[in-house]
Amino acid sequence: MTMDPFATLGAPRRFDLDLAVLEKTHRELSRALHPDKFAQAGASERRAALEKAANVNEAWRILRDPIRRAEALFRALGFAVGETNEPKASPAFLMEVMEEREALAEARAAKDLGKVQKLGGAISVRAKAVEGKLTAGFSGGAPPKDELEKLLPLLGELRFYRRFLDEVEAIEEEAREAEEALAQNGTGVSP
Amino acid sequence: MAYSDKVIDHAENPRNVGTLDKDDPSVGTGLVGAPACGDVMRLQIKVSDDGVIEDAKFKTFGCGSAIASSSLATEWIKGKKVEEAEALKNVDIVNELNLPPVKIHCSVLAEDAIKSAIADYRAKQAAKR
Repeated sequence: MTMDPFATLGAPRRFDLDLAVLEKTHRELSRALHPDKFAQAGASERRAALEKAANVNEAWRILRDPIRRAEALFRALGFAVGETNEPKASPAFLMEVMEEREALAEARAAKDLGKVQKLGGAISVRAKAVEGKLTAGFSGGAPPKDELEKLLPLLGELRFYRRFLDEVEAIEEEAREAEEALAQNGTGVSP
Repeated sequence: MAYSDKVIDHAENPRNVGTLDKDDPSVGTGLVGAPACGDVMRLQIKVSDDGVIEDAKFKTFGCGSAIASSSLATEWIKGKKVEEAEALKNVDIVNELNLPPVKIHCSVLAEDAIKSAIADYRAKQAAKR
């Protein structure tokens, strides 16, 4: 039996969770389960608390991440996700992703950081829109199976966008490092 | 995770990266993606009148194994007849590159890309007639 992160943190099974509330719950549960509190307890009780604390941490890591949260929602509703269970992305969607990725690669090659950030901003907006659809899809309790099937491609879309935004972040990081190296050389403090 | 030397070689020096004219009737374009990881791959073939793949190009945005799988795929299908290329299986790529189980889907993606490029080429040829 895999751990249900929603049950572990006492969160409702929906996509739009209040992360501030969840973080507080995580902190309180972690404190209550801290090994110091079980110093006088028996071995089995100590072990149980330790295991529970690990689950609480893992649940928080899952639920704070939109993609892992969505995966957990599907799983909690008895719907398998992962490599072989998800539908192929539509050709039109793939075409768009490919074009955006190529534009990003070009902007990177041209060292056009403004363009990189613009492309990243546009994808962020689209990722937010997909998250909005997931929020709506999971807002009315457990959706029936055919509704879940319709929601499933959104998870794939989020992963394509995540990959894109990871790349944007890597390029920004690269640019920052280059700038720092330049600043150091400029002041003549380079070794 | 440790990549095999062959994966590193293909990922660092990918063969046949580029684009062919997708509007050319002798060019087939395959565009595939892996929703489970967010990788996208485009593989194109240019087929001669006698059914031989005379050129193949790819562009992959993804991990080293996905790049290596598509790079190797273009290398293999170049000079082959379309039917021969169609027979290529992802396990051949897995074996050649020594891909670990978690990266097998990268080879599946490359096989899908070849099949989808061939399907596109055939659809274009059928439309011509």
